[in-house]
Amino acid sequence: MEGPRVGDQSMIERYNYNEFVPQKFEPWMRFEESPPLGRPAPDFPLWDLEGRETRFSAVWSVHTYTAVEFGSFT
Amino acid sequence: MNQIAERWAPHGVGSIFLYTHEAHPGEYWPHHTSFDQKLQHARALRDVLGVTRPILVDALDGACHRAYGGMPNMTWIINQSGAPVYKSDWTDAHSVENAIQYFVAAVDRRRAGETLAPFNVERLDLRNADREAFYKGLERNGPKAVREFRAAIG
Repeated sequence: MEGPRVGDQSMIERYNYNEFVPQKFEPWMRFEESPPLGRPAPDFPLWDLEGRETRFSAVWSVHTYTAVEFGSFT
Repeated sequence: MNQIAERWAPHGVGSIFLYTHEAHPGEYWPHHTSFDQKLQHARALRDVLGVTRPILVDALDGACHRAYGGMPNMTWIINQSGAPVYKSDWTDAHSVENAIQYFVAAVDRRRAGETLAPFNVERLDLRNADREAFYKGLERNGPKAVREFRAAIG
């Protein structure tokens, strides 16, 4: 399976914080800086559960509207 | 959210779950250290928690999640042209379905010949805040997740 390119290791470790403490989770919560409504949304590569690469734009271009819930197991 | 996805699919509304990082890592579901591990956790979302919507996984560095505001459980609705039309910093099924209903109705209004133009609206919606149920979910992650949440939030 071809995974995504390995990015900045420091970013990977900080983003995937190992404990829920404010100094580790708060820096990622930047909703007020998120993309505006009505303008082109930023596109990114994404992967299905088998590790096959697709793109966000390939998802939203299929339906009239697409609801996207962000989250995780925890 | 799964039921909403099923209810509105016949009306041209797609739904996905975009897997990010572990918001409350614990002994049983720790933080990600590899992309393979992230894929395994995402599969558990389907196999253990029963998410039936297509699940797509962000890169290990959270490039997509970070660009969209990085909140742990937000929902966006994006139209077919690639423009977001709804974003909420927390996921509430009632709020999401209310928005979907509005946008699907707008499609029907256009089809009926009405001329529509976009405008901005702000709204402060209300989400379920059942702390007991939330702690039950945290227990699934491991005692560490419960301990850390109590210390950070109370």
